[in-house]
Amino acid sequence: MTDDIYKPSADAVAKRHKARFDKRVIVRHAFLIAWALVVMFPIYWMLQTSFKDSGEWVTWPPHWVPHEPTLKNYEQIFTFNVQQAGVARDATEQPFNIWGSLADSLIICTFSSLIALLLGTFLAYSISRFNVGGKRFRHSVLMIRMIPPIVIAIPVLMYFAVIIPFATESVFGTRISLFDTRIGVIMLYIAISLPFVIWMMLAFIDEVPYTVEHAARIMGASRMYTIRKIVLPLVASGMVVTFLFIFILNWAEFLLALTLTHPDVSTLPVLLNKFQSASEGRLYGPQAAIGTVITIPVVIMGILIQKHLVKGFSFGMMRR
Amino acid sequence: MTDATLNGTGGPARQGPRMRLRAWLGQERVFRWIPFVLVEGVFLLVIIIPFLLTIYISFLRWRANRPFEQAYLSGFRNYEQVLTNEGFWLSLGRTFYFAGAAVTFELIVGFLLAMAVHRVVRGRRIYITLFLIPMMLVPVVAGYNFSMIYLDSGPLNQLLSPITTALGFDPRIRWLSDPTAAQLAIIFADIWQWTSLTFLIFLSGFSALPPQLINAARIMGANRRQIFFWVELPLLKPAIVIAIVIRSMEALKMFDPIVMLTFGGPGTSTQTIAHYLWEQVWMFNKFSFGAAASVLVLIMFSVLIFTGIWLLIRQSDQVENQQLNTGSDR
Repeated sequence: MTDDIYKPSADAVAKRHKARFDKRVIVRHAFLIAWALVVMFPIYWMLQTSFKDSGEWVTWPPHWVPHEPTLKNYEQIFTFNVQQAGVARDATEQPFNIWGSLADSLIICTFSSLIALLLGTFLAYSISRFNVGGKRFRHSVLMIRMIPPIVIAIPVLMYFAVIIPFATESVFGTRISLFDTRIGVIMLYIAISLPFVIWMMLAFIDEVPYTVEHAARIMGASRMYTIRKIVLPLVASGMVVTFLFIFILNWAEFLLALTLTHPDVSTLPVLLNKFQSASEGRLYGPQAAIGTVITIPVVIMGILIQKHLVKGFSFGMMRR
Repeated sequence: MTDATLNGTGGPARQGPRMRLRAWLGQERVFRWIPFVLVEGVFLLVIIIPFLLTIYISFLRWRANRPFEQAYLSGFRNYEQVLTNEGFWLSLGRTFYFAGAAVTFELIVGFLLAMAVHRVVRGRRIYITLFLIPMMLVPVVAGYNFSMIYLDSGPLNQLLSPITTALGFDPRIRWLSDPTAAQLAIIFADIWQWTSLTFLIFLSGFSALPPQLINAARIMGANRRQIFFWVELPLLKPAIVIAIVIRSMEALKMFDPIVMLTFGGPGTSTQTIAHYLWEQVWMFNKFSFGAAASVLVLIMFSVLIFTGIWLLIRQSDQVENQQLNTGSDR
């Protein structure tokens, strides 16, 4: 049984020498390369658009490589004071930069992922060791994740924007609104990323043998000491993987952020969407630059944790 | 939970109660439940209370432009309105159409890719890394990428132009402003992004196939096709069920590519249920209508969710049994 999807099966290796120029092999590679081209094409198109100046964004026939490569799009999105620097061009006069959204995205994703990771890891520990919540709790917690986000977004929108201000006004006399605040988004993200944290950390904690802990307990270590010195070091790498995974998910989250923020707080996907609608005018080049900036960190993180993702999505099909 | 909070907040921070609290928290039976209570508290505060309030709001008559104090009860009026609304049913049907079409193709393409990669020796790691990239991409960015590609004067039309001009069409197909073409465009964008997930699930399934069974079949004289249909395919059943469940649940939520590509248009020809509800609440401020619709959608979807979870649990139990049976004598 192969445990690793990266290792070719013994069968395939054995056949390899026999049939190096087999027709089947060529067809197989042709199919795979064709799909690889399909997969890479949209990403390539975004990358090359981000280096085009406004005149080249939309042309017929479209330019497959920027004829006059420029960094203007990146300059525009990264400049603090757009009007002074004079990088706003005729076609793209709306001055804007991504620093505000970048800060919002980073703060929201970091805090929500960290808090969810802490809460979820401890719950996973108690589920794994003491079966807290019953036998099927580990599966039923995934249900929260399966609810369509729009069904969460609408109640939370009314709750944040109207009910909480209404309640605080009648009880404390001041209106407190969680709508369009970072704290509101963070709270919601914690709730929706907890199921994944619990699910992934359970897999890692189940691997740590209980006997080690038991030995430490018998030798007189306290409960917290056992967790800190024995369990945590063994699952630390798992915690890093889980953190990166839910960070990617929260980084990519769009519907909830779009519904619960306007206009002060905006995460990067929401910012990208703002320039999609006709009202603000399409800025193809800067949009491509924003897209590239959003994409690069997550793809790097994703490739880093790829092996673990593979394990996580195999649902126990592969031996650990 | 109530005991813990009472002890935590009650009384000044003297030595006595604090020590007693620590002793109480140190108990085995209390300690195990602390994380559970905290997590359930988060769910209660952020998801369950808003949802209960929504059920209440769904019985009110209230739009966002009027203050909440002026809302009044109106019985099942909102539910009546939702259930007799044509847009609601059409968008629901469209959601299932998109999800069905996209998931079918994702399963087929993902399966073929996984099968090919499973048999490939050279370049395996590169293929896997490349094929998994779309899954990691932010869906909004993927939507933006496709909005560039589908432009009237975009690269897709250029690539298709030899065919279209030969057939006598105008090569500038309006991908996003023709109802049928827009639906196909949305479905293809979803296939592009999420085939990577089905590919990953199937590849894990292929890698977990026990070689001894396949060898045994070969020794007994089975040919390639027989091995595939009678040995490999039955063993891959869990992977197939998992892929179907996971992908269908996700595809039914489709929202991001629609906002990025067509915004539900032209007309409402690409509006899914998520986009429809969002538009009713966010654009038209029909709060109590939206509340009733969300309650109905949740009820409809919970049937699917329970079926999905049940299938997943059953499959993962089966996988464990299989491993116990086949993995012992390797």
